Amino acid sequence: MLRVDAIRAVLERAGGAPIVSNLGGTTFHLHNLEDRDANLYMWGAMGLTSSVGLGIALAAPDRKVVVMDGDGSLLMNLGSLGTIARQSPANLVHLVWDNHQWAGTGGQPTHTAEVTDLAAVARGAGIPKVAAVSTLEALEEAFDLAMREDGPWCIVADVEGSDFPDRPDVSIEENLQRFRRTFERPPT
Amino acid sequence: MGWVDSIVQSLKDADVGLIAYVPDGVTWRVLRVMEDDPFFHMVPTTREEEAVGIISGAYAAGRRGAVFMQSSGFGNSINALATLNIPYRIPFPLFVGMRGGPGEFNLAQVPGARAIPGILDALGLQHFTLTREDELDRVLPGVIALTYAGRLPVANLLSTILTGGRDAPR
Repeated sequence: MLRVDAIRAVLERAGGAPIVSNLGGTTFHLHNLEDRDANLYMWGAMGLTSSVGLGIALAAPDRKVVVMDGDGSLLMNLGSLGTIARQSPANLVHLVWDNHQWAGTGGQPTHTAEVTDLAAVARGAGIPKVAAVSTLEALEEAFDLAMREDGPWCIVADVEGSDFPDRPDVSIEENLQRFRRTFERPPT
Repeated sequence: MGWVDSIVQSLKDADVGLIAYVPDGVTWRVLRVMEDDPFFHMVPTTREEEAVGIISGAYAAGRRGAVFMQSSGFGNSINALATLNIPYRIPFPLFVGMRGGPGEFNLAQVPGARAIPGILDALGLQHFTLTREDELDRVLPGVIALTYAGRLPVANLLSTILTGGRDAPR
């Protein structure tokens, strides 16, 4: 499965849920497919996409929060899985697009290309709902379940690393303020 | 009011309720009070930049939080400050339990702690070294208001002169 097809499938199923996207290709794809108000794009802070998603989930417990992470980033912040498990936010859906490479820097193989199983790491960290998927159909099924049932969820999706999206032009400050407005209470 | 209660009260007054931290002997004197207070939601983390990421995500969803860490771990948070908080303009009050000052016994605590003001200056982030307990009730509300008005993190450096350091009576 191509990462771009995986992101498109999640977008079609996520409704208005906030989505935070990992720096590089995932942010580029998400923006290019659909520049929603409820998208928060990471441009740096490698490794922290899952932590930012946890913060959103703790602040907005009544909404499902979708994190689109990558294998290189998650490997940089494995402790985050333990922190998520300890906090156990039922509304967090942590997707990991595992393309087994640092795609943005030339496609160097990450540890998941050789030895590391991120779904097993997530289970070992204490995440109660973990799925490993390698087809689009299995991803859609797991994501639909995660949006219906309490989590926290971690869905590790095996994706191809062959897609190189165009880099969009985004104002980082405006993105943050637009995202924040989606959490404001409607006027009474 | 003692310095611990001043910090706790100033955070409550500003509706700063989410607390992410890596514990240490100095800030734990504040954190343990907050652990027992249902106003606060406590998030122990494995690494300082994780705490910064969590509190930044919460702000993105409209909730205020603060980060507590020891000076020795400050270096672990620099990339988050530089690539997340500054470009996105995400504020939070940062509380650093300082080591490496008067009373320090561990050489390994000194270089990193001494570098913190210079690193914050280089990043363009404001910082205040807190030494006097009798000033805190006036200083802290002002610093927290500045943090959110300026939409950037502001560091409160808790000096050993204020806290007594790691080995002070608890």
